Amino acid sequence: MTGALKRFVAVVDRMNHRIGRIAMYGIFVLMAILLWSSVSKTFFTPALWTLETAQFAMVAYYMLGGPYSIQMGANVRMDLLYGSWSLRRKSAMDAITVLFLIFYLCVLLWGGWDSLMYSFKYGGERSSSVWRPYMWPVKLIMVTGIALMLLQALSELCKDLLRLMGHDMGEKV
Amino acid sequence: MGYETIAILMFSSMMVMLLTGQRVFGAIGFVAVIAALALWGDRGGYDLAFASAIKLMKWYPLLTLPMFIFMGYVLSESRIADDLYKMFHVWMGGLPGGLAVGTIGLMVLISAMNGLSVAGMAIGATIALPELLKRGYNTRMVTGVIQAGSSLGILVPPSVVLVLYAMIARQPVGQLWLAGVVPGLLMATAFIVYIVIRCRLNPELGPVLPKEDRDMPMGEKLRLLQAGLLPLGIFAVMMVPFVNGWTSLVESSAIGAIAAFLAAVLKGRMTRQVFETTVRNTLGISCMFMWIILAALAFGAVFDGLGAVKAIESLFTERLGLSPWVILILMQLSFILMGTFLDDTAMLVIVAPLYVPLVGALGFDLIWYGVLYTITCQIAYMTPPFGYNLFLMRAMAPPEIGMRDIYTSIVPFVGVMVVVLAIIMIFPEIALWLPGVVYGN
Amino acid sequence: QEPIRWRFQTYAGAALGEHVTKPIIDYINAASGGELEIELFYADQIVPTGELFQALQRGTLDGVHSDDDSMASPTPTRMFGGYFPFATKHILDVPVLFNQYGLADIWRAEYEKVGVTWLSAAGQDPCNFNTKKEITSLSDLDGLKLYTFPTAGRFLSQFGVVPVNIPYEDAEVAVQTGELDGMAWSGITEDYTVGWADVTDYFLTNNISGAWIGSFFVNQERWAELPDHLKELVMAAIEAGHTYRNQWYWGGEASLRARGDKLELRSVPAEEWAEVEAAAIKFWDEVAEEGEVHAKVVSVFREYNDVINQAGPPYTF
Ligand code: NA
Ligand code: NA
Repeated sequence: MTGALKRFVAVVDRMNHRIGRIAMYGIFVLMAILLWSSVSKTFFTPALWTLETAQFAMVAYYMLGGPYSIQMGANVRMDLLYGSWSLRRKSAMDAITVLFLIFYLCVLLWGGWDSLMYSFKYGGERSSSVWRPYMWPVKLIMVTGIALMLLQALSELCKDLLRLMGHDMGEKV
Repeated sequence: MGYETIAILMFSSMMVMLLTGQRVFGAIGFVAVIAALALWGDRGGYDLAFASAIKLMKWYPLLTLPMFIFMGYVLSESRIADDLYKMFHVWMGGLPGGLAVGTIGLMVLISAMNGLSVAGMAIGATIALPELLKRGYNTRMVTGVIQAGSSLGILVPPSVVLVLYAMIARQPVGQLWLAGVVPGLLMATAFIVYIVIRCRLNPELGPVLPKEDRDMPMGEKLRLLQAGLLPLGIFAVMMVPFVNGWTSLVESSAIGAIAAFLAAVLKGRMTRQVFETTVRNTLGISCMFMWIILAALAFGAVFDGLGAVKAIESLFTERLGLSPWVILILMQLSFILMGTFLDDTAMLVIVAPLYVPLVGALGFDLIWYGVLYTITCQIAYMTPPFGYNLFLMRAMAPPEIGMRDIYTSIVPFVGVMVVVLAIIMIFPEIALWLPGVVYGN
Repeated sequence: QEPIRWRFQTYAGAALGEHVTKPIIDYINAASGGELEIELFYADQIVPTGELFQALQRGTLDGVHSDDDSMASPTPTRMFGGYFPFATKHILDVPVLFNQYGLADIWRAEYEKVGVTWLSAAGQDPCNFNTKKEITSLSDLDGLKLYTFPTAGRFLSQFGVVPVNIPYEDAEVAVQTGELDGMAWSGITEDYTVGWADVTDYFLTNNISGAWIGSFFVNQERWAELPDHLKELVMAAIEAGHTYRNQWYWGGEASLRARGDKLELRSVPAEEWAEVEAAAIKFWDEVAEEGEVHAKVVSVFREYNDVINQAGPPYTF
């Protein structure tokens, strides 16, 4: 049992770490798009696709990078009480409250899946811009990001359970 | 159950959820989806959370967020601010509390180059803090100065908070940013006045720097002033094309980020390590903000769906029959109160849509109100239990600075902020003068 | 007895929605004797405008007021809602096209297929331009970033316009942040009502379409559940709203062009604008190729335009 939990944690954390490390460089993609947008507008005709592409890039950046940000402990908590608790107490509380986070992510995923399925219907949903890109790729990225976030939350839950069982899973972030 | 009861229930359960210490976005998101499912029953409602993701995607000014965060990290990690600090060090060291005054000056320049308080905190904690402690400055004075000074990042343009406010209040970002300039400088001046008076009365709080530490030939002293050119240059590269309408807001933010990056590269400060930390932390902080806004938008949509806006409006204007100024002051007080508990982005996305239309309906200027709102956020950044600067300070401060020190250090500075807030409430021209001059209205 | 409650979202922001949607909702709420209570939400309040259709289909929203184009309708009518270039000249053309020339049947049938009940369409204001830079010739359009409808944008891009699609309520700020140079979105009444006249300087009197086509939609199940007398009430309220809107726009366009002091009027000479009209004829042919329903709608527009061209003024200005 604990072996399975540990394996799950290891697999999920490694995968999300890798994906996050790639998503991290998305900031330069975003910069490049916006820079091209200013250049094309100053010297040529303004590009039709830049704003929307930048928006898609941003979605990929924060959705796919989300799980890695959890690993880094970047997602703030209100630590009025939490901050002064022992590791064990934090783990116990988190093991319960992370279920709320998981529930939220499940509902998010449910809506995302529905929306993704819709984007394949009726000949494919297209954006309302003149460029009219199909919407399914960005929705697929979103759904993937949410699913990865869900896995990360489950991994956090496993880590807390393991901690409560007396395993050393490192400090909480 | 009446809608008002549901609204109160939503707010109070969010507070409880936050107190458990779960990640803020999880707490807000959970309450939002539970409320949506309960209210919509079997008729949909489950898609509201994801619809917020689409809404967030289309909110184009948010593209500036990672850019400003990146800029801040480049500035703090590459330590190109070191020279700046040395400049203030040498020039201001002779005054009692002079280094603290110099730190405020440093913070104003840092604020002109990034849109949040994170960079100011990082620079303050890594460069100014150790130096000030070494010079025998009082710990509470030091942590207070750094937290208060870095909060200017959201008032002095560029400002992410004002960008978000602009979207919600439908006010021009350019004007809002300019409106923040004079109040930002006024605030900085007020901090300085406070520091100088305190240190005059009690010189132990901020001892004068020994003469040998700041003694150098005038030529070299003047050369140090060049350090100030860099932030001004980056500020200009970003703001001039924007104010003139050559580039748009989001394009300008990218130009600013690239300019800061190039400056660090050219100064030879962009090492592998710096690059890694900058890129990684930019992702971390951007994700934090985006996921909170995502959850808060869902919360806001459900809240909207309850007709909560109308309820609050009628409560204030009809049922209580209050005068506009009383309402405004009550709103600011409640904002400050909520700001102590809530994160500023969540506060903006959840509460501002309720308040801003009301402020407009009462006949107040929304540009001016944006400045008031931002100062409230500054206060929120520093007040326990929840404040970014507070968190950052705790994470970055050396062990000899205790929790109690950090908490008490902010008290006088919050006092100064409240006074400035009051001054700007009484004299709106302080905020409105500059945009009036530039945009001619 | 518990009232039936609907959540209804309009494409319009609060300032405009006050005139184009709210009177209808108020009328229904007042006249239904507490049997039907509709809560009105404005642009992007519950869901973003681009998601209106899906939300309606799923029942997150019970009713919607929008044009087919803005709400990303999956039906072939998407091209024609909002502004189909040069399809209409005046606000009354729209009800005539729907009620006398058969568009209503097409719309009803197409939405029936995708699980949404189409109730009624009406005309609104023409599609003029309001911009920061002045437009006095066709070449001034080149490079302008304009907030416009998808189909109108697709059409205008051949003249160098860069159409930008953002949330309705963000358009005003976008002009100020430099994301937009203006709008090709409405007549002058809307420009003044929603505040766009405060951020732009010029109004181009030439339009690319004489009237906006927008509709009222309801979730299919919600409509089926509604007792007949309330259905009648909803339809009557919508008709009353159409009448109010006809006057509001017709009077507003005239008085603000004549007396408004925020926007200076400009125009492109008619000979030059004829180039745009010629392009529209080609555009119609292109669109007619896209499908059977497209062809049918285009043929209705052709037929009607033949009639009004023969009739002459006031139908053709
Ligand atoms: Na700033
Ligand atoms: Na706070």
